[in-house]
Amino acid sequence: MSEIDVQPVETIVTDVGRKASDALALLQGVQAHYGYLPTEALERLCELTECEAAEFWSVATFYDQFRFKPAGRHFVKVCIGTACHVKGATQIFEAFKRYLNIDADNDTDAERLFTVEKVACLGCCMLAPAVQIDDVIYGHVTGETVGQVLGDFLQQQQQTAATGKKKGLQKTPSGLVRICLDSSCRAVGSDKVYDALKAGVETLQVPVKVKHTSCHGMSFLAPLVEVVSADGTVFRYGNAQPADAVSILRRHFQPATASGRVKSAVDHLLDRLLDDRIGEGPIRYSLSIRDRSIEDYQDRQVHIATEHAAEVNPLDLDEYQRNGGFEVLKRCVTEGDPEAVLTELENAGLRGRGGGGYPTHLKWFAVRRADAEQKYIICNGDEGDPGAFMDRMLMESYPYRILEGMAIAAWTVGATEGRLYIRSEYPLALQRIGAAIEQCTQAGMLGERIFGSDFSLNLKITVGAGAFVCGEETALIKSIEGKRPAPRLRPPYPTRRGLNNAPTLVNNVETYALVPWVLRNGSERFGQYGTNTSKGTKVFALAGKIRRGGLVEVPMGMTIRDIVDDIGGGIENDRALKAVQIGGPSGGCVPASMAETAIDYESLHTAGAIMGSGGMVVLDETDCMVDIARYFLEFTQDQSCGRCTFCRVGTRRMLDILERLCGGEGKAGDIETLYELGQQIQNTSICGLGKTAPNPVLSTIDHFRDEYEAHIAGRCPAGKCRALIHFSITDDCIGCTICAQHCPVDAIAMKPYEKHVIDQQACIRCGTCKSVCPAGAVEVE
Amino acid sequence: MITLTIDNLEVQVPEGMTILSAAESVGIRIPTLCFAKGFKPSTSCMVCVVRVEGFRHLVPACGTLAADGMVATTVSDEIVKARKTAIELLLSDHVGDCVGPCEKGCPAKMNIPLMIRQIAVGQLEEAIATVKKDIALPAILGRICEAPCEKVCRRAQADEAVTICLLKRFVADSDLASEKSYKPECLPQTGKKVAIIGAGPSGLAAAYYLAQAGIACTLYDKANKPGGWLLSGDIDKEILPPTVVEAEIEQIFKLGPVFTGNNCLGADVYLDELKSQYDAVLLAVGQVGDDVVPIGIDRQDGKIAVNRQDYSTSLAGVFAAGACIGSRNVCVRAIADGKEAAQAMISFLSEEREMSKIEYNHRMGRLKEGEMPIFLKHASANERTKSELPTKGLTKSQAQQESQRCLHCDCHKADRCGLRDLATATGAEQRAFAADRAVFEQIVVSDGVIFEPGKCIKCGLCVQAAKKHSETLGLSFEGRGYTMRPAVPFEKDWTDGLKKAVIECVKVCPTGALASKD
Repeated sequence: MSEIDVQPVETIVTDVGRKASDALALLQGVQAHYGYLPTEALERLCELTECEAAEFWSVATFYDQFRFKPAGRHFVKVCIGTACHVKGATQIFEAFKRYLNIDADNDTDAERLFTVEKVACLGCCMLAPAVQIDDVIYGHVTGETVGQVLGDFLQQQQQTAATGKKKGLQKTPSGLVRICLDSSCRAVGSDKVYDALKAGVETLQVPVKVKHTSCHGMSFLAPLVEVVSADGTVFRYGNAQPADAVSILRRHFQPATASGRVKSAVDHLLDRLLDDRIGEGPIRYSLSIRDRSIEDYQDRQVHIATEHAAEVNPLDLDEYQRNGGFEVLKRCVTEGDPEAVLTELENAGLRGRGGGGYPTHLKWFAVRRADAEQKYIICNGDEGDPGAFMDRMLMESYPYRILEGMAIAAWTVGATEGRLYIRSEYPLALQRIGAAIEQCTQAGMLGERIFGSDFSLNLKITVGAGAFVCGEETALIKSIEGKRPAPRLRPPYPTRRGLNNAPTLVNNVETYALVPWVLRNGSERFGQYGTNTSKGTKVFALAGKIRRGGLVEVPMGMTIRDIVDDIGGGIENDRALKAVQIGGPSGGCVPASMAETAIDYESLHTAGAIMGSGGMVVLDETDCMVDIARYFLEFTQDQSCGRCTFCRVGTRRMLDILERLCGGEGKAGDIETLYELGQQIQNTSICGLGKTAPNPVLSTIDHFRDEYEAHIAGRCPAGKCRALIHFSITDDCIGCTICAQHCPVDAIAMKPYEKHVIDQQACIRCGTCKSVCPAGAVEVE
Repeated sequence: MITLTIDNLEVQVPEGMTILSAAESVGIRIPTLCFAKGFKPSTSCMVCVVRVEGFRHLVPACGTLAADGMVATTVSDEIVKARKTAIELLLSDHVGDCVGPCEKGCPAKMNIPLMIRQIAVGQLEEAIATVKKDIALPAILGRICEAPCEKVCRRAQADEAVTICLLKRFVADSDLASEKSYKPECLPQTGKKVAIIGAGPSGLAAAYYLAQAGIACTLYDKANKPGGWLLSGDIDKEILPPTVVEAEIEQIFKLGPVFTGNNCLGADVYLDELKSQYDAVLLAVGQVGDDVVPIGIDRQDGKIAVNRQDYSTSLAGVFAAGACIGSRNVCVRAIADGKEAAQAMISFLSEEREMSKIEYNHRMGRLKEGEMPIFLKHASANERTKSELPTKGLTKSQAQQESQRCLHCDCHKADRCGLRDLATATGAEQRAFAADRAVFEQIVVSDGVIFEPGKCIKCGLCVQAAKKHSETLGLSFEGRGYTMRPAVPFEKDWTDGLKKAVIECVKVCPTGALASKD
């Protein structure tokens, strides 16, 4: 073991701070420097700061982000979110480890180049299965392409190191090309397309402005290039590639100068010689189909939290103001009446969008009436549910809207300090919110004396470190305070005793994002959407086995079927809808037979699901409901803080049973034990995580009990549980050897022109053979 | 002051009090495990859950503040079941044995590891008290016992069992040889009288424990001397000299029982007669033929039929024990029967008539790989001591040497463990939730204090205690969820973490996780 140089710790402390409440940021600083947390560095840190060793260690060991062993140079984070899980994330994870020769006890390859980890959710559910390597996201990864992915990443690293950045030439543009640069679009290469478009503009010398925009929500078309011609017509190109950039530009814009036109022609000629793909153009949908699908996709949506979707630049403050942004805040702080704001929210019937659905005005009122010198406001952006990415999109695309909502709330309740708690897995959201805070502070919409009034609001960001339970408000507050984030018993609620024991308003990202619209357009207009008890809209992350997925904002009361069929375009691969998982690990599965259930707080609860924060994962007939229940329970039991017996041990015992069921070792009585224990866990845990953890199990038992019984009898009807299935090759085999070539464990001997056979002992049931067989000769039983 | 209702009782308490304290103030006891006075409520174990009207879920009484107008219920089917499940979940995650396998294997349930620890430090007076608490005739048994305890001794898995039987004989012989042999305290006379038919091992043992409870006993036997088959049976006198039998039996009669010899049941004395003269009768007549069993008592397979829970026969007030009820005809079983029948009769004769619940015993089961060395670490590596002749006992130095071989498999806090008490009280079952058990670990905290993570319920009272004592390193919760545990920061040793708080940590730990070895 080499000695650890603890000198850099001093610099980290100087940069971050010495207070006990800086604990999380200090740990992140140490990890950023060393790649892990050397205990020597942590000890030094305690010497230099007010952090107490015992509390500090309990914080450091709580979060997933922190590691105590040296890591490889790059991190391969395999997303195991719901959408990725149903598309085979486990196999991808295993494939990376296999490819890098990492055994079960290790996570880093021998050369210390890559560390392979599972990550709760990257929030790119439409790219499932998704993998993030350092800051690069790869979508639709298969067990077969892990090698290519790693190769591409390393190649890109070299290129970035070799080339510097060139300055582009500036001209008054006559045309506009828009492209979304959100994480999920980037993951499919939208940044590369953006670079190619910029480069294209330069080489073609066309007067075009290339603009990156807020997310359009149509992840299935990403990267999506939108060309706005001089007459305002919008042409959309879905799944554009960098190589397509020049041809897209050429199709719509004439080079401004003669020499440019010549150069363009020559380039084109050369391109033809060099690359035979040119001329084919991007993978483009035919006009009619494309338009209809997009209209279908957009038609039934109502954009409130996502107002001006795909039209605005996330970090263009002027544009936000031109669209009416900060008007409400200005009116409030200069001449407004906080009571009137509360009345308006009450009339609007706005309820918290974080999952609970608590009436917003009541929460605001509780903080407002609390008598205290100091009050706080917190934006809960710790969107940890696997299968949910609404808050990420909102933060990446509409940062000002969230900040304005927070500022209005702070002014209403009398808070002068605020925090945004954002997951570290969302680097772009962190970057954009950070930039937006800075811009707004400089422009006088945040900070001291907002709009010249005597109202001040100081907003800071706390970066989470990978703990789902931090989405629970009392845990989130402890996390901000630098303490071990185990939820505490409520009451007292944070509205009375929150951050630093002061009255604190905690709302979700989406709730804040709705506030400016509601106050600008009035409660009556908001109330036009939705149902009697659930007013307005809700943003959902639509993912899973669906044709078109992405972020959708729909009026409450719409049925699940409408969302799946009309907006999502139905189930992919013409399979049948089996269930929709709503609400993530706290929610439940609504079966296809109940697809007419309306999306509102009460109806979902009756159906055994919850609104939750808005993850909606569509499952088809090939999904095993016992496996889905096991998947969610594995997640929550891993994320339990460990305080309450029922949550800590009870969920583990439930998981034991589910693992036995999926492993073909179920016994009579298992279903009853699961159900009874699940109900007791709901009844006796002190925080929302424990109280809701059994929901996915209970709802699948309610609706799919026959599948549980089948597992006890040793069958997995969906053919998913690996211990209960086996692959075999039928007489349809044409002897092409493709399966043998692709088998990652050599379980199929290569026998050209003969029927192939799978060695069941060696087979890891990854399903690669089935997916590559051109003759459909691989069967699963 | 605020007013609330607990179990239909109106309670007035100052504001800021928890439901637990409010209930306590009017004498309502809510069970707790992870709660300790003077510490912040951990709200962790969930044993103290109660139902409060208006709340959708059960709430922990230790951490929930009483409020004006609150209506709380502390006992209901739902609550009782939740408490039992909480305990069963903790047990499903528990690693260790309450009592050693030897004690579990001993028909008389003698606390063998404790006796061995007392021998090791030369506390022979304490050792004989430990022995005689459960075994009335140890010098006799020390010579003829089949020693089922040694068959299950964990040490046998490493080399050979500890020679428990000879150690017990050593303790008993030393006692008989001493000037002032051990005489247990007897309770004042209760005025109750019991007739015991048969002065063999069962009857003698019963008399020994009945006498200690202040109950007058008369033993009837057809022989003219007490001892039954210990004297008349086919036993090698070299191995069990009659002098030893007589000396040990004398110890029993020192406590007051009366022996009436030459009295054969059905010839000289009659059950009806005895029943009217005594408050209860114990039949301990040994191997029986049809002729001996009095008419009117139900039989099964030729033996006297008894309720195995309390040794009662079909006749009220008549009990039976030993070979006559079909118990295995070995001395230790007979003695155990006598003791247990005595306990049942004591309970029968007392006002309350409540049988104490069967004490919960957690079992670790078969050792996993790597666990034996943990047990062997603190034991001597010596071979099992062999006595030179089958008739000879151990010398003092041999006994002390042999006592070092014991692995002390029992829990060091078995007699003051909150988890065990609650498991007994709730009737919890160890295997209600089957799970692979974790690997046994034992960490040295300081001289004589150990931490066994498998017994930890993660309440964090030790973490709080360390903080209270302003330890430099102290203890923290390491990790989270199922695998979290108290640990010293920065992967340091417990000896570095706890300098001042050790005693309080042991005291406040509600289970045997943190315990003193002696």
